[in-house]
Amino acid sequence: MRPFEYGNPSTVKQAISLLGSDWEQAAVLAGGTDLISLMKDYIDTPKRVVNIKSISALRGASEVNGGLRLGATTTFEDLFENPAPLRDFPSLRAAIDGIYSAQMRSMGTVGGDLLQRPRCWYYRNGFGLLALDSKGQSLVPHGDNRYHAIFGNAGPAYFVSPSSLAPPLVALGATLRIQGPKGERELPVAELFRIPRHTGEREHTIQPKEILTEILLPASARRLRNATYEVRERHFMDWPLATASVALRMEGRRVRQARVVLGQVAPIPWRAEGAERELAGKTLDEAVATRAGEAATVGAHPLSKNGYKVQLVRVAVKRALLAAIA
Amino acid sequence: MGEMNVIGKRMAMTDARAKVTGLGRYADDLSVPGMLYGRILHSPHPHARIRSVDTLAAEALEGVKAVATGRDAPTPYGILPIGHDERVLALDKARYIGDNVAAVAATSPEIAEEALRLIRVDYEPLPAWFDPLESMKAEENWIHEKRAHNIEKEYHHHFGNVDEGFAQADFVLEDRYYCGEVTHAAMEPHSTLAVWEPNERLTVYSSTQVPFYLHRTLSAVCEMPMSRIRVVKPLVGGGFGGKSEIIPLEVAASVLAKKARRPVKITYTREEVFYAHRGRPITIVDLKLGITKEGRITAAQARIVQDGGAYCGYGPVTVLYSGALLNALYDIPNVKFDGFRVLTNKPACGAMRGHGTVNARFAFESMLDQIAARAGLDPVELRRRNLLKAPCTTPNGLRVTSYGLPECIERVAERSGWAEKRGKLGKGRGIGFACSHYVSGAANPIIRSNMPHTTVNIKIDRDAGITVYSGASEIGQGSDTMHVQIVAEVLGVRPERVNLVAADTELTPVDLGSYSSRVTFMAGNACLNAARNMRAQILGPVARQFDCETDDLEMRDETIVSKNGAGVSMSFDDAVALAMVGEGALVAKGTYAPPEQARGGKFKGAGVGPSPSYSYSAQAVEVKVDRETGQVKVERVVAAHDCGRALNPLTVDGQVQGSVYMGMGQAVQEEMVWREGRLMNPSFLEYRLPTTLETPQIESIIVESIDPEGPFGAKEAGEGSLAAAIPAIANAIYDAVGVRITDVPITPERVLAALRAKEEAEKGGAR
Amino acid sequence: MTKELIRLKVNGETHELAIAPNKLLLDVLREDLGLTGSKRGCDDSSCGCCTVLIDGMPMLSCVALATSYQDAEITTVEGLARDGELDPVQEAFMSWGGAQCGFCTPGFLMTTHALLEKNPDPTLDQVREALASNICRCTGYTQIYESVLAAAQKIREKRKNEIAISK
Repeated sequence: MRPFEYGNPSTVKQAISLLGSDWEQAAVLAGGTDLISLMKDYIDTPKRVVNIKSISALRGASEVNGGLRLGATTTFEDLFENPAPLRDFPSLRAAIDGIYSAQMRSMGTVGGDLLQRPRCWYYRNGFGLLALDSKGQSLVPHGDNRYHAIFGNAGPAYFVSPSSLAPPLVALGATLRIQGPKGERELPVAELFRIPRHTGEREHTIQPKEILTEILLPASARRLRNATYEVRERHFMDWPLATASVALRMEGRRVRQARVVLGQVAPIPWRAEGAERELAGKTLDEAVATRAGEAATVGAHPLSKNGYKVQLVRVAVKRALLAAIA
Repeated sequence: MGEMNVIGKRMAMTDARAKVTGLGRYADDLSVPGMLYGRILHSPHPHARIRSVDTLAAEALEGVKAVATGRDAPTPYGILPIGHDERVLALDKARYIGDNVAAVAATSPEIAEEALRLIRVDYEPLPAWFDPLESMKAEENWIHEKRAHNIEKEYHHHFGNVDEGFAQADFVLEDRYYCGEVTHAAMEPHSTLAVWEPNERLTVYSSTQVPFYLHRTLSAVCEMPMSRIRVVKPLVGGGFGGKSEIIPLEVAASVLAKKARRPVKITYTREEVFYAHRGRPITIVDLKLGITKEGRITAAQARIVQDGGAYCGYGPVTVLYSGALLNALYDIPNVKFDGFRVLTNKPACGAMRGHGTVNARFAFESMLDQIAARAGLDPVELRRRNLLKAPCTTPNGLRVTSYGLPECIERVAERSGWAEKRGKLGKGRGIGFACSHYVSGAANPIIRSNMPHTTVNIKIDRDAGITVYSGASEIGQGSDTMHVQIVAEVLGVRPERVNLVAADTELTPVDLGSYSSRVTFMAGNACLNAARNMRAQILGPVARQFDCETDDLEMRDETIVSKNGAGVSMSFDDAVALAMVGEGALVAKGTYAPPEQARGGKFKGAGVGPSPSYSYSAQAVEVKVDRETGQVKVERVVAAHDCGRALNPLTVDGQVQGSVYMGMGQAVQEEMVWREGRLMNPSFLEYRLPTTLETPQIESIIVESIDPEGPFGAKEAGEGSLAAAIPAIANAIYDAVGVRITDVPITPERVLAALRAKEEAEKGGAR
Repeated sequence: MTKELIRLKVNGETHELAIAPNKLLLDVLREDLGLTGSKRGCDDSSCGCCTVLIDGMPMLSCVALATSYQDAEITTVEGLARDGELDPVQEAFMSWGGAQCGFCTPGFLMTTHALLEKNPDPTLDQVREALASNICRCTGYTQIYESVLAAAQKIREKRKNEIAISK
């Protein structure tokens, strides 16, 4: 690990004042399970590390105006120990349950889950987020891309968004609060993510001088039927091969409006709008769920080795839908 | 043999307390005053000529105490006398990404790393070979100039006549099987502390399974007589074969220590461990099998290509095992084997648990089920019909002295509920069966000699404590405990009275090492002989004093008593004191060398495969297959293992369960993924070792065939069960969803592809 | 790099140490405090060998900066035994074959200890879930499951006896 300066602020304001104008200047440290690993491999080499775990205001889950507020440094263990605020959100519970590890639960934070960097093995092997070779060509399309994107992969980015919480949060219509030197802004979770277009652009829209402070779910989200289904190769210490999270506004057994969000299949949490259209107005049963799963795969462009993920999307969407109405 | 007090009892390992308190010391836990930190510079190119290495800037950095390049240690070495093709630091060429180019010792790890960045290497990249089938066609740019077409070794064996055999068969099947590359992934990363002593001697503490081979190699490369080098094995955090060759850091630390005249420690990062590798190679098996309609195997023919990576290592042995152990499990009259060990520009493969036999066994046991289906036979029944009639010698010269396979098969069939379950477990569920076997050590040593493979000494002095000196290497498998049990049993004392000094070349006699499951059989027999020798020394004077024969006496419960209950009773302490009169401290020695008739035939390659004894295993596995996602879940494993006699059932169970686990990992999730010589998954996050969530409780059954030559009848327990696990899972998947997967690991992707192919074939058939 | 003075409370003892801010808790334990029981098995939070308890919670000391845990109670495997008496979890791993090579053992002991503090009567499935991020390459986990369940039973009996005595 490169040497760095360590900051241990007790307020968000102090923390922001310690951040720099680009990512090389400073990194925000919460649970550390991803950041420290990246720093040990010299993939991330910040000159300053700002620990935000001492800012007590950032931690905790609570009900606010009937909705849910999750402080960014709330650990998975906090939610596990006190799951009451998560009632009505089985889709979030499922994503958190997927994190079996006792250690990861005690250390990992909800903000860190959203802001963790991709698991792409080219990135982790030092080829950068866009996995470019010395001639500026991506290594992914002709390399081993079994875990790469099948949506949103027209290039130059092929990695997949690794967040477990993002699919359910996007499906449920969650927003984020982000604080920066000029104050606070609020944005839908979906807008935290973007597909980088060039080297130097990150997959998150958060700026180097900003801190993610909280995640908010409106009270209305509690009325959505919701579920998450993850397909995994290994149960723990692994990211799912494909995830589907659904949130349904129901009228009796009929779906009035659906949100279907896929994880681990695109550089961002991927809205399966085809599936959403397929569901609208339908009475949800196995046949409709199957059709929605099929519709979710429209527009998929598998690479040379990840065609199997298309099938996994089909199944994940179907199973998430059936779980939501079970 | 009568009632035994220590042998056969479930006994906690003698080093368990050191391990659960965290006070036991592994190599990286050691440090000494003045110790330097070593780091190694690795090649970024898979194949490149090294024009020059400029170390001046690194040497000038404050805190750097030594920098070494290939010129500092040019002597080539390798684990096999026929394969001395490695240098600790590359001299002329780098042959894989990760090959070792230079090494630095500095006062801190950070300075050592900084120094590596200052070393300038001028590489001339060469065309590289990654695919073994392409590599063996190479006409130029050979990885080693002396190895034409990148073929390290090839062997062609034919016993009986397979053409005649296939002509007698009613069913003949041919198929190709592919096994991806897997690695040991012992939890302890390799670590070596090399201490340059003030008296110009070298003491090396290293995470090794083979202190003796390390000792020899260090002597050659450091150009020092063996008598001035001491190799000590501290606690070792798992080996599985990954520490059974000389690993570059062991030599690099020693070269740096000698150069700096300071202690130097090098510990690999996990990524370096993956690149140091020496694991199980990519293997392509083309297999042909014939059976009669009664289910008798008439012939087997295998062509096996192994992707050995850039250096020889154990390669020729690996490929020979894959051929030799096609025999000695079943009775097969005609066997043909063509084996190729091919070089590629990737890290060298080597010995990994089940050395050489595992992938060939996967192919064979899969095909047995395929051909059973063709012939309409129950797979277990097919196996029953091809049992050996032991004792016997196979056509390729393997001597089978004890054969618990029939009992393994029956007990697994019964416990697993095979007859009730096969084909009847319901949707997506299936049960599979397979068998395997393994050697109890190699009857022929790597370095040919007529010396015993192991010697054990025992000393008793005035404290009446028993000290056993053995070169055998405890690596977590229970080697130390085994020695203590044997001595305690023979001398009739509590195990606590026995102290073991092990694996220190200055104190202990030579043992060849912990590999090919040789320790219990060979060091165990040497230990037994030493203990019997000691027993005679103690009983002689007692018998004289009581005017009886030593045969009339027995040693138990820390006393010497008459067998018939009459007369003699003397405490162990008193008996020892009596024996020491006029003698002083008692010393006894025992050795073991495999008998001549166990050493196999005389043809080229006959040296690999022969063992004084073979273990046998049978397994049944139940799986659940998700037809829609292709996920395979192993739900139950029943594994029976014939270990001759379980000296310590606790550790035998542990060895069997661990073997099954490792096989399960290879079967469904582990694979090293290569991209032009670069390992895409050099970490535990991406190299998917099974966790507790994928690992059910493994039900192990111990079968005791009491080998006539093993110590108390014991033989191998630590490897043989691995190979059956993989085909048992593949066979269970077939039972569950009707698809035959011939490639491992059996990932969701492969299962889905097979299910799709099956659907399409059925549609096609319907048309 | 400039070192800073930190205070760490490990196994009940407070230490003052001058360390660089990038020093990992694992390295401080092993190098500065001589507590080599905690092991480094991976480099990226994927094996569990370095697990220690921080305020009773199992955490990975290989991705923790020492300086971040100055106000915490840290327990390592060396702190499990009390007055020379082994913890029931340690006893059970000895007698049930839970430790083979022993390298992963300290991490398993810490995670198990935390599990049994919370739930002294776990089912096999709960044990398997709780230990999912500690990798063992030797045992195939079966004897570890047996060790944990045996330790749990011993802890329950011990508590029952304590209650009986206090009554």
